[in-house]
Amino acid sequence: MMLGYIGRRAYHSILSVIGLLTLVFFLTRLTGDPSALYLPLDSSVEAREAFARLNGLDQPLYVQFFQYLRDLLSFDFGESLRQHRSAIDVALEAFPQTLKLAVVAMTLSILLAILVGALAAARPGSLFDRIAGLVSLAGASTPDFWIAIVGILVFAVGLGLLPTSGTGSILHWIMPVFVLMLRPFGLLVQVVRGTMISALASPYIKTAHAKGMKRRKIIFGHALRNSLLPVVTVAGDLTTGLINGAVVVETIFGWPGIGKLMIDSIIQRDFAVVQSTILVTAIAIFIVNIAIDLLYVGLDPRIRY
Amino acid sequence: MGSASIRIMAGALLAAGWAGSAMAQNATEVRIVLPEQPANLEPCGTIITNVGQILSRNVVEPLTVIDAASGQPKPSLATEWKQTDPNTWTLKLREGVKFQDGAPFNAEAVKFSIERMTGGKLTCSNIAKFGDAKLTVKAIDDLTVEIKSDKPQPILPTLLSVVMIVSPNTPVDKAVNDPVGTGPFKLSSFTPQTVVIDAFDGYWGKKPAITKASYVWRPESSIRAAMVETGEADLTPSIAAQDASNPETDFAYLNSETTAIRIDAGFAPLDDVRIRKALNLAIDWEGLGQLFGADAKRASQMSVPGINGHDDKLEPWPYDAEKARALIAEAKAAGVPVDTEIELIGRNGIYPNGAEAMEAMMAMWQDVGLNVKLTMLDVNDWLRFLQKPFPEGRGPNLLQMMHDNNKGDAAFTIPIFYTSNGSYSTVSDPALDKQVAEAMASTGEARTANFKAIFDKVRNDVVTDIPMFHMIGYTRVGKRLDWKPDITTNSEIPLANIGLKN
Repeated sequence: MMLGYIGRRAYHSILSVIGLLTLVFFLTRLTGDPSALYLPLDSSVEAREAFARLNGLDQPLYVQFFQYLRDLLSFDFGESLRQHRSAIDVALEAFPQTLKLAVVAMTLSILLAILVGALAAARPGSLFDRIAGLVSLAGASTPDFWIAIVGILVFAVGLGLLPTSGTGSILHWIMPVFVLMLRPFGLLVQVVRGTMISALASPYIKTAHAKGMKRRKIIFGHALRNSLLPVVTVAGDLTTGLINGAVVVETIFGWPGIGKLMIDSIIQRDFAVVQSTILVTAIAIFIVNIAIDLLYVGLDPRIRY
Repeated sequence: MGSASIRIMAGALLAAGWAGSAMAQNATEVRIVLPEQPANLEPCGTIITNVGQILSRNVVEPLTVIDAASGQPKPSLATEWKQTDPNTWTLKLREGVKFQDGAPFNAEAVKFSIERMTGGKLTCSNIAKFGDAKLTVKAIDDLTVEIKSDKPQPILPTLLSVVMIVSPNTPVDKAVNDPVGTGPFKLSSFTPQTVVIDAFDGYWGKKPAITKASYVWRPESSIRAAMVETGEADLTPSIAAQDASNPETDFAYLNSETTAIRIDAGFAPLDDVRIRKALNLAIDWEGLGQLFGADAKRASQMSVPGINGHDDKLEPWPYDAEKARALIAEAKAAGVPVDTEIELIGRNGIYPNGAEAMEAMMAMWQDVGLNVKLTMLDVNDWLRFLQKPFPEGRGPNLLQMMHDNNKGDAAFTIPIFYTSNGSYSTVSDPALDKQVAEAMASTGEARTANFKAIFDKVRNDVVTDIPMFHMIGYTRVGKRLDWKPDITTNSEIPLANIGLKN
């Protein structure tokens, strides 16, 4: 039953990916002629024509498209105009960097948000609840580029505790992960708190209290589990956003992820890389969506596919 | 978890972090942070800033190099050269030079590199400097090479400074990311995070003080400046003026760029020289200069000081709004349609504060009575106006531009802007064409004088542009390094010229 569901989702996903790639192929070509960006301003008309010929850009668009589809069937995703190497290799090299960052940031955000949100909901109106509300709202609404630059000025330049940017050591992870966590953490605390307050007011919680069950078990064992469905929905949405690339964090901290690669490729009209990055992220997002659906089943036995 | 465990974990984290940082601090190793990731490491693209700053004169070397002070070619892999007829040059090559892969450097290698560059089988940005010239290379003997052009090339030795000589084992039909040259450093690795080059033991010249360099990239100027400040990096070029706040480490230098407005003299009212002069006079240059930084130098011509043909005595246009109004009134009285709308075409992101500069200039021109309207375009649309063939149906227009000439000679400026078939030219004047042709064919002092005369004529009589400022670059140099940037820094950072303090 479950396998059938996954098969159906995968089939629909393939159709969506083909549609998406077709759309992206034509939309990228609308951005203009790459020779304007790849050749020096003083290049001759002949040089521009030679560039177009070398890269197959002199052919009519429909010919280029059928060539692209033919290449796709043999898993040839084209060559990067900028980097002179396989576009899919470029995308696959960058994607794990983003994925690692997204997984760490989302895992920490979710765990922390559940803890803080649940504790805040346990005593609405308390000092802890108010501080949690303030911090989560600030986290959700503060611009990440501002936090990132201030963080660098304070912790790297001022205190000398952390490196400004780059990758390499564990310390390099702290600021990017923290900046990336802020928004998901802020939003998820609000969601967890809201759903937990409703759950804690439910009759079955009162019954549990009446039975003399421990408070910790009531909050984390009963109320929390029933509050998790909306949390999973929001967290899934935030995760797909991060998988698409954390452009600001990647740019400021020099993190070689797929978000920055995608933006650079669009700006540079590196069509094959744009298509490859979108293909990779689209597949990842479809996988995440299927995983979320399966998680629903685990959390709520009433859900069947 | 006990507090002891937390302390141990924190200690381990810090130790791991500092171990990573300490690696970059080896006494003879440097780390350079560039604004952009090099798209590739093809030696035929060294005129692209971030490729040239890594490869040029570090991994690959040209036959000649341009002296930053005089603008004249100096020996590199070629030791001497002679023009045997207007179209032919003979060059003697340096003896005892080897490529990093062990191949010998000789006349055949030079022939190979030039033919690879001109063969049309790969995208080669550097070839643009040769225009449409066709070169034929012949190896006379092992260390003598003859280069023939289909048209006179009085400055071929200058042009050869962009021809990077690569190993004969380099593929001819595709661009490479693993260049092999004769330079003092060989490429060790190129990843999405870094490029690392190590000293090449078989280098023919003096061994550089630096033994290893790693290049990383961060687009944010403030982050790059912070990296040098904290010691994470030793050098970063092209920081923003507002980040160049430490006089001990931050150097301002005249780079090779000149900002200007090109006047399309083909349409009324811009076909009247009084209007073109009025456009120059109507700008409050001191006020406008605030957008370009205190160190920017007012320009009177399209080449920077130090370029052969630049005339130091040529005065920039002053600010004289009254005179501008008088010229416009005089033109109007003579029947020139001075009220016609003039389109000022700017380019998004062309240089810092570029859009603000256009808005200010538009307001100043409107103030003296000209009907100027600003349109900002992205690079692709803007290019259609920059290069011939210009778009059909365009009207009177002014084009924001920035011209870069770091190749030592006004030949890289004058023909494209001021001859009838120059690709950016809005001028069509047979007398000026003849004057330019004569200057291009001349050599030595006569060449310098001829170019100066053309710049003077353009400034005073032709007036098809509004030179604005010679631009300034800011570079932050860490305290460990003994080095100052110059006009060539935008195109190359030869590590062999960088000393290490202590």
